[in-house]
Amino acid sequence: MNLRLELTRFLKLCFVLSSAFMFWKGLSIATNSHSPIVVVLSGSMEPAFQRGDVLFLWNRNERSKVGDVVIYEVQDKSIPIVHRVLREHHNDKNKQLLLTKGDNNAGDDIPLYGRKKIYLQKERDIVGTVKGYVPQLGYVTIWISENKYAKLALMGFLGISALLSNE
Amino acid sequence: MFSLSQRFQTLGNQAITYGLFISVFIAITSWFQLQSQDADLVPSTIESIKPSLSFRTSRYYGSVNGKPKENAKITFDLETDLTPLFTWNTKQVFAYLTAEYDGKNTHNEVVFWDKIITSKDEAHLKVNGAKSKYNIWDAQDKLSGKELEFKLKWNIQPYVGPLIYGETIGSKDVLVQSAAADDDNK
Repeated sequence: MNLRLELTRFLKLCFVLSSAFMFWKGLSIATNSHSPIVVVLSGSMEPAFQRGDVLFLWNRNERSKVGDVVIYEVQDKSIPIVHRVLREHHNDKNKQLLLTKGDNNAGDDIPLYGRKKIYLQKERDIVGTVKGYVPQLGYVTIWISENKYAKLALMGFLGISALLSNE
Repeated sequence: MFSLSQRFQTLGNQAITYGLFISVFIAITSWFQLQSQDADLVPSTIESIKPSLSFRTSRYYGSVNGKPKENAKITFDLETDLTPLFTWNTKQVFAYLTAEYDGKNTHNEVVFWDKIITSKDEAHLKVNGAKSKYNIWDAQDKLSGKELEFKLKWNIQPYVGPLIYGETIGSKDVLVQSAAADDDNK
């Protein structure tokens, strides 16, 4: 066993992980959103977005427009929701109220806001506006996070390929 | 030299590169296709808008603490042909009828009606006396006495690439009469 070789390999692994982390955080700063790329988890925007589709977000706009598809997070609930803005009300001081609805849902989102709220606030609740779209690519992450055998298979594959790559 | 993981990695890299290249190509060509079809110059006619008012006391109709809230619905006629919005990268068109109006120090835009169009065959919209899909209330006080400017806007959802927004040419101004004035007319 060559210690130098092992250490170099370890260093390379660290480099890969840290550059991935830097890329993600850099994108976060550029878009002003804490999660600039999201995977759709529900069918409430069908047929526009299906489960597993990947969305690219942008959050440097001052105000949302009617028709924009936005991601929002309601306070105390950590699940991000992808829905369309159907009403906007803003004043001179740039405080904006939004009402959203899923294309595939019958009614608007007021029941989701909770706590007697009937509007979202742009500054506080919006994570980003959808700008770009790639279909189905994110299904891998849903598959891995919801299927324990898939998780094991992925771990096993990574482990075996690490063992076998002893060139 | 050629381990399993290396082969897998090369294959993966190539798939991603080609996939990216094809996606960008599709997005760019569909943008040019939209330009050549004059997607930004689609005309629409919005006619005979009749608002009707009611008062609701539910939170789901904008009421705060059970105070009656004025809700507005409309009936309207609409004709437009959104066929130019369909390119080889159009998955659906979301067409929505909005009304813009000014309140006290506020600017507002609300959607009264919308429609998801998934194929060229359904792109020619012609509705007469259609009812609005939503009950609309003002965030501040009420809609009556306000001048609403109606427009038909659209959003193209692509198979891959950026979401594209625009509006049709044509608008209609309507003053919402208060319920009391309505009674006087009868």
